[in-house]
Amino acid sequence: MKLLGPALTILLVGQLAGPVRADEPKPAGPGVAEDYALHCSACHTAKGGGTPGLVPSLRELAPLLALPGGREYLVRVPGVAQAPLSPDRIARLLNWVLAQYSGLAVEPRYSAEEVEILRRSPLRDPVGFRAALVAASGIPSTAH
Amino acid sequence: MSRLDRWLEDSARGLARRSGRRSFLARVGRFSAGLVGASMIPILPVARASNEPRRLPGEVEGPEGDPGSCEYWRHCAIDGFLCACCGGSATACPPGTSSSPVTWIGTCLNPADDQHYMISYNDCCGKGFCGRCSCNRNEGERPDYHWYRANDINWCGGASSQAYHCSVARVVGLASEQQPER
Repeated sequence: MKLLGPALTILLVGQLAGPVRADEPKPAGPGVAEDYALHCSACHTAKGGGTPGLVPSLRELAPLLALPGGREYLVRVPGVAQAPLSPDRIARLLNWVLAQYSGLAVEPRYSAEEVEILRRSPLRDPVGFRAALVAASGIPSTAH
Repeated sequence: MSRLDRWLEDSARGLARRSGRRSFLARVGRFSAGLVGASMIPILPVARASNEPRRLPGEVEGPEGDPGSCEYWRHCAIDGFLCACCGGSATACPPGTSSSPVTWIGTCLNPADDQHYMISYNDCCGKGFCGRCSCNRNEGERPDYHWYRANDINWCGGASSQAYHCSVARVVGLASEQQPER
C-alpha cells in the first residue's frame, strides 16, 4: 500500500544529453525513445518539460552542461546512474535527450566507457551538488 | 359528384366498421415512427456508439476484460484502489481529483495479443482514500530504494494535494521487451 506521503520530491534532477547519429552503434534492445518513455518520462514527462518546483526540465540543460563538472553531473544524478540499463544504452539515452529536448549536439558524445566510470559514484544530494556547481561558476542561478 | 360522394362515404363507413379509431391511430403511429425513427437512428450518438466495440481512450486491441477487476491485465503492477470503482475509469481520475504529475511506468503483458505494453500508474489526488476495489499486484515492481519503480510510494507527493484517492493504469505505448527488472 501507499506508504510514503510526500516522499517523492526533487529526486530526479537532470538527466542527460544529444541525438543518435548514423555512425553511433545501436545497442541491443529497445529504441532510445522507448528507453526514455520507460525510464525517464514518468517524472520528466513525455515532452521533457518536468514539473516546476519538483522535477527539473530537460529543455534547459545547455548552461548546466557548460559548467565545469556539469557533464559528469548529468551522469551521476541518481535517475541516470542507477537506471537499470547497460552503459551503452545510458550513453545513447543521454545523447538523445540532450539533442531532443535541449537542442544540444554534445561533443564528445557520451560513451559507454564514460558512463560506466561515472555511474560508480552516484550523487547522494543531487540538488545540493547542482546548486554548488552553479554557485562555483559565479553565473546567476536563474541561468540554470 | 354524387357518385363520388357516395363512394367516399361508403368507403369511410366500411373502414369505420372494420377498425376502431384507436387501432387506426396506432397503425399510423407505428408507420410514421418506423419512417422517422429509422431515419433518426444513425444520427443518435448513443445508437451509433452501441454499434461499435466499447473502447476507452488509450485502449489497445483485443478483448478488454474488466477494468474494474484487479486481474485486469493492465493492473499487473498496480497498488491501490482502482479508479474504475471510484467514479472514474481505468484511465481517468474521478471527478474532484487530479492525476499526479509524476508517477512510475512499468510493462504488462496483454494476453489478447501477447504484446508487452508500457503502463503509466498515475495516482489520483485531492480526496481521501476511495476504499473500494483495493488491488495490490507487484509484477516487476521494485522496492522503495528503487523509488522510480516502486508502487508503495504515494505519487501524490508531487501533486498540489497529497491526499491519495485511487490509481489508474494508462497505456503509454507498445514495449518491445519486458521491463528489465523482472
